[in-house]
Amino acid sequence: MLKPWSAETNTPQANRLDVVIGAADLVTAVAALRQAGWGYLAAITGLDLGVDAGRMEVLYHFCEGAAVLTLRVMIDRETAVIPTLCNLIPSASFFERELIEMFGITVEGTPNTDHLFLPDEWPEGVYPLRKDFQPNA
Amino acid sequence: MHTSEHSKTAEKFIVPIGPQHPALKEPGHFEFSVEGEVVTAATVRLGYAHRGIEKGTESRNYVQNLYLLERICGICSHIHATAYCLGVEQLAEVEVPPRAQAIRELVAELERIHSHLLWLGVAAHEAGFDTLFMYSWRDRETVMDILEGLTGNRVNYSANVLGGVKYDVDDEQSKAIRQGIDFLEERTHHYLDVVTSDPVFVQRTRDIGVMTADDARRLGVIGPTARASSVGRDIRIESPYAAYADFPVKLVLETAGDLEARFVVRLKELFESYRVIREILAALPPGELTAKRMPRKIKAGEVISRVEAPRGELLYFIKSNGTDMPERIKVRTPTLCNMASVLTLTVGHHLADVPMILVGIDPCFSCNDRGVILQHQDGHDHWNWERLRQFGIDYYAGRR
Repeated sequence: MLKPWSAETNTPQANRLDVVIGAADLVTAVAALRQAGWGYLAAITGLDLGVDAGRMEVLYHFCEGAAVLTLRVMIDRETAVIPTLCNLIPSASFFERELIEMFGITVEGTPNTDHLFLPDEWPEGVYPLRKDFQPNA
Repeated sequence: MHTSEHSKTAEKFIVPIGPQHPALKEPGHFEFSVEGEVVTAATVRLGYAHRGIEKGTESRNYVQNLYLLERICGICSHIHATAYCLGVEQLAEVEVPPRAQAIRELVAELERIHSHLLWLGVAAHEAGFDTLFMYSWRDRETVMDILEGLTGNRVNYSANVLGGVKYDVDDEQSKAIRQGIDFLEERTHHYLDVVTSDPVFVQRTRDIGVMTADDARRLGVIGPTARASSVGRDIRIESPYAAYADFPVKLVLETAGDLEARFVVRLKELFESYRVIREILAALPPGELTAKRMPRKIKAGEVISRVEAPRGELLYFIKSNGTDMPERIKVRTPTLCNMASVLTLTVGHHLADVPMILVGIDPCFSCNDRGVILQHQDGHDHWNWERLRQFGIDYYAGRR
């Protein structure tokens, strides 16, 4: 079903399918899933591939029964932008808020950009889950 | 904190709740916009218990992380550890002996009993039904004693190790567990009777916070909250892990979708837990408690581990990089999924119903995190949770 947009697919575990897609195709692909009534959005995971790699990855996990479909979107680390899923899935808002504050990814069109977990006084531009952020242990 | 959402509602009352919640004993900050008595919008702000655990896992090895992740939450400690261990064991391609998996399931179900009884008391307290609160927490002592007998702790059992479990179950413990379960089963029948027939309690739960199956699917809710609206999501059944394939549970569904249904689902689930615990005790597979060898360095890979915590689906995404420390561990707790539904459900209800609707999803802010302001046009009025809760109780007392 996701064939039109998938750049690459992978089956890391028997019940899992990873599909690499471009940021531009993300919303259309999710709309197709919604239309078909397949799965619910279980989580959105951000991955910082490192300063050297210059990229970050955003994983969208959809679950249907035992099967887990992960849409993987690669984005540039400096200009990290991804479209919102909130028009299709309103409950994505929490996950996107976490992505914004922890990774410094801009989610275009998301309705609420308030911090979810970080305090309001948290310094701008400091993204805790990025690899170059080291907490003073 | 002002965003575009708040400026739109500037002319209405906004009731903030939290972050100090004497009732929940955990902090979370909600803002409810009200017109008169009726809620018109709601937003939430979490993070008061945020401890940077996900970041912390990146600088600790897998063994240290087990101890860290166990402490995300006191009453879902075991299920967090189980999700983590199952994930790492898959990455390392280690096979866990069947006795260990069965004991993991045993402790997980005991934890579910603990959690639901605790929740029952808290929920009753929210409604002002302190007698039920006291009795259910007295009965909770029974399951805590069982868990202490098995693991040495009443909360935060730490029964898992990577590759298996630490504690075995002998005949004497088995007998004690059975006795405890028998007692609790009898009590659960009584509680089910009370919550469905006590007129004062029913007034606060029947037809309140109704969520249809479609709404539940659309809002992405999971766990008992979803099952109370006939959405049959239960990872133990959809995707059995640990020993659930050998000792399965049956799906417990209710159709009313209101607060009462959420009570009924959790109580009825307890019967399934009691049943499956007896089955495990009767047929505990013999053998080792841990795998022969658990590597310290975990080969590179990614795994998604999903389990059914007392509050719903718990999802762990673990990425390993060939060293003894993980690359990334992402924890998605059930309360985060269900929180969105609170914001939608409260709209259109009376302010008095808010505490009950929130408690209906069985929120666990520790799991989440990793406070209520009433804004009047001419000034500020601050309510704390205790005041809102009392308001709810008095409101209904006045209507009797």
